Amino acid sequence: MDFDFTDDQESLRDAVRKWVAKGYDFERRRAITRDGGFSREAYGELAGLGLTGLYIPEDDGGLGMGPVEGMVVMEELGRGIVLEPFAQTLIASALLSGYAPEAVRSAWLPKIASGDSLVVLAHQERSARFNIEKCEAKAVFAHDGWSLTAIKSIVPVGDMADAFIVPAMVDGKMALFLVERTAAGVANQGYVTQDGARAAEVTLDNAAAVLITLDGLTALEHGVDIGIACACAEAVGVMDQSLAVTVEYMNTRKQFGVLISSFQALRHRLADMKMQLELARSMSYYASLKLNAPAEERRSALARAKYQLGVSMRFVGQQAVQLHGGIGVTDEYIVSHYFKKLTQLEISFGDTLHHLGEVSSRMQDTAGVFA
Amino acid sequence: MDLAFTPDEQAFREEIRDWVHANLPADISHKVHHALRLSKDDMQRWAKILGAKGWLGHGWPTEFGGPGWNAVQKHLFEEECALAGAPRVVPFGPVMVAPVIMAFGNPEQQQRFLPGIASGEVWWSQGYSEPGAGSDLASLKCKAERQGDKFIVNGQKAWTTLGQYGEWIFCLVRTSSEGKPQTGISFLLIDMKTPGVTVRPIKLLDGEVEVNEVWFDNVEVPANNLIGEENKGWTYAKYLLGHERTNIADVNRSKRELERLKRIAKAEGVYDDLRFRDEIAKLEVDVVALEMLVLRVLSAEKSGKNSLDIAGLLKIKGSEIQQRYGELMMQAAGPYSLPFIEEAMEAGWQGDFPGGEVANAPLAGTYFNLRKTTIYGGSNEVQRNIVSQVVLG
Repeated sequence: MDFDFTDDQESLRDAVRKWVAKGYDFERRRAITRDGGFSREAYGELAGLGLTGLYIPEDDGGLGMGPVEGMVVMEELGRGIVLEPFAQTLIASALLSGYAPEAVRSAWLPKIASGDSLVVLAHQERSARFNIEKCEAKAVFAHDGWSLTAIKSIVPVGDMADAFIVPAMVDGKMALFLVERTAAGVANQGYVTQDGARAAEVTLDNAAAVLITLDGLTALEHGVDIGIACACAEAVGVMDQSLAVTVEYMNTRKQFGVLISSFQALRHRLADMKMQLELARSMSYYASLKLNAPAEERRSALARAKYQLGVSMRFVGQQAVQLHGGIGVTDEYIVSHYFKKLTQLEISFGDTLHHLGEVSSRMQDTAGVFA
Repeated sequence: MDLAFTPDEQAFREEIRDWVHANLPADISHKVHHALRLSKDDMQRWAKILGAKGWLGHGWPTEFGGPGWNAVQKHLFEEECALAGAPRVVPFGPVMVAPVIMAFGNPEQQQRFLPGIASGEVWWSQGYSEPGAGSDLASLKCKAERQGDKFIVNGQKAWTTLGQYGEWIFCLVRTSSEGKPQTGISFLLIDMKTPGVTVRPIKLLDGEVEVNEVWFDNVEVPANNLIGEENKGWTYAKYLLGHERTNIADVNRSKRELERLKRIAKAEGVYDDLRFRDEIAKLEVDVVALEMLVLRVLSAEKSGKNSLDIAGLLKIKGSEIQQRYGELMMQAAGPYSLPFIEEAMEAGWQGDFPGGEVANAPLAGTYFNLRKTTIYGGSNEVQRNIVSQVVLG
C-alpha cells in the first residue's frame, strides 16, 4: 500500500513535462488544430522521447513499462492538452502484445515502438452507443484470408492512422482484427473534433484484415479499460492545470477594489474543485493499479473510476470557466480549451451515466477498495 | 505504486481481527451492527477491554505505553474494530486530552491522569464550545481567575458530548482579555465532582441525549490542574489538530454501513429498483474514492514524502458520505421509517414494529442524528474556507 512514484517514474514525468512546456505550447496546439487536428511531426517527437514504445516489450523494441508509467505520461500530456492520441498507441501496444499471434506481433510492434506506425482502435458503431459488446461489423474467411465489412465512427486520426484494430463478428461471436488504412476497400472521412483533435468515419468494404484474436470481446474490454485508465489520468492533468490557471486568475483579477479570491462564494467553489480533483486523482491511481487485475475485478474498478472522473471532469471544467467570468467562454483564452478537452474525455470509453449503470449492475454485497 | 498491503501489514490486520473477534462482547457488537442504543456500561466495558490490552491509547508514544504502531497499523486497527461492530472509542480521554498531557503536562500530571485514561477507568469530557463560541471558538468567555493556588472558574460550556457520564473535563478557559482572543486562553483540567459544576443534558432531534451544557459557578480548581503555561492553551488545542487526521474520514465505518444499506435495501425490496440501485452505486464509488484518498494520506505519512495537506477534504467528504448512507437507509424503509417507538431502540425488544421489520426502527433517528456531522469538528463551510486558503496559497 504505497502511492509514491519511483525515481525513474519521476524522471519520466519530468521528461514529458519539459517537452510539453518547451515544445507544445498553446500556440502550436492552435496551429495543429487549424491544420486538421493531428501533427505527425509532434507524434514523431513523442517517439523521439521513446514514449511510443512504453507498453511494448523490450524484445520488440519497446520500453516494457506498465500502467503506472502510462498514467504518468498521460497526466503530463493532459496538462498540455496534447492533441496527438498517445492513449491509442498504449491501447494498440497492449492489445497486440497481449492477444496477437507471433507473426502479427513481430510485424507491428517494432514499427509502433519506433513511431513509424500509428495504430488505433476503431470500435465505435452508430447503434451501439457505449455498449461495446454490440457489434454489427462482420468478418468472413475466404481462401486468401479475412475480409471485413464495417462502419466505424469517431476513430481517432482515422484518416491518417496507419492501421486500425477492428472488432467484427465471426459466426455471431466477436473477434478482433488488424486492418491497414491503405488496404483496398477502406474509405474514410476525416474531421476535427470539438476538442481540436482529429477523427474519422472509417468504412470497410471487404477490406483485407489480419486476425488478432477470436476472443475478441475479452480483448476489446481490456483495450477499452486501458483507454479508460488513460482518459482518467489525462483528465487529472487537464484538471490540475484548470485549477492552476483559475487560482492564478483569481489572485490577479480585481473587482470592487479587491481581488475576487477574497469572495467567500468563489473560495468555496475552489474548495469544491480541489475536492473533485483529489477524488479524481485518487480514482485515477485506482484505475491504473487495477489494470492488471482479473477481468471482472478490472471492469468493475474501471467503471467506478470513470464514474468518479466523469463527475469531476464535468464540475471542474464547468467551474473553471465560470470562475474566469467572460473570458472563460472565449476561444482566445486557454480555459475553454481545457473545458472542451474534459468534455471529450468524459464522453470517451463510456460516459458518466453509462458507467453508473456498470457500477450498479456489477454491485456486490461488500464495500470499499479491497472488497 | 502498489495498492495491496504488505504481507506484514496483512498479518497485523489478521492478528487484530482475531483479537477483536475473541474479545468484543457479542451483545455490544449486536447493538452497533443494528444501530441500537449503547449504554454507558457498553461503551466503558469496551474501553476497559482495550485498556487492559494496552490498546485504548493505541496512538500514544511508546514511552507512555503506546504499542508504537505506524499510521497504517493504526488505520488497520481502527478498521478491524469498526468492521467487527466495536463502538466508537470515546476520544476525549485517550485521543484528545492524553496527547496534550503527554506533550505539555508535567511529570506529576502525567502520573496522575494518564493511567486512568489508558485503562478506560476514567471518563473524560471536552469543554471547548460555548453558546456564543462555536465556529468562533477563540471568542470563548468561560473565565478562570487565578487566586493563590487555585483558579476560580465561571462560565458555561456547550455541546459536551456524553458529558452526563463525564468524571473529568478538559476546558479551554479565558485567563486574559488582553490582546487577541487566542492569546488569553488556558488549558485547564477540572474534576466534574467539584462543587459548582452542573451538567444539564441537551436532547437532540433524534430523541437521544448525546450532548450537554456544563455550568461552572465559582468552581475551585487547583492551579496544578493547569496544563503547561497560562495563556498558551490555544496552542495546545491546535497541536491536537496537527495530529494524524485520517480517522476524521470515518471511512471504515462507512464501508460497514454501506454493506448494511445494501442489506436493508434488499429486505425492503428496493435493491432491484434501478433508480434506487443507482443511488447506492453513486455512494459505492464515493466510498471507494474516499478510501483511496485516506490510503494516499497514510502512504504519504508512512514514507515521509510529500505530506498531503487535505485533512479538510477528508472531513467534508467523510461527513457527506455518512449523511448519504443515513438518508438512503431511511429512504429504503419508506413510510416504515416513520413510526417513532423508543423501546424499539433497545436490544432485545420483543414488541411488534409497524411493518414487521424492527431493523427499520432506528433509521430515521440515524438520518436526523447524522446532520451533526457537517456541523461539528469544524463545520464544512469552515473546512472549505481552510481548503481554499491552502489552494489559493
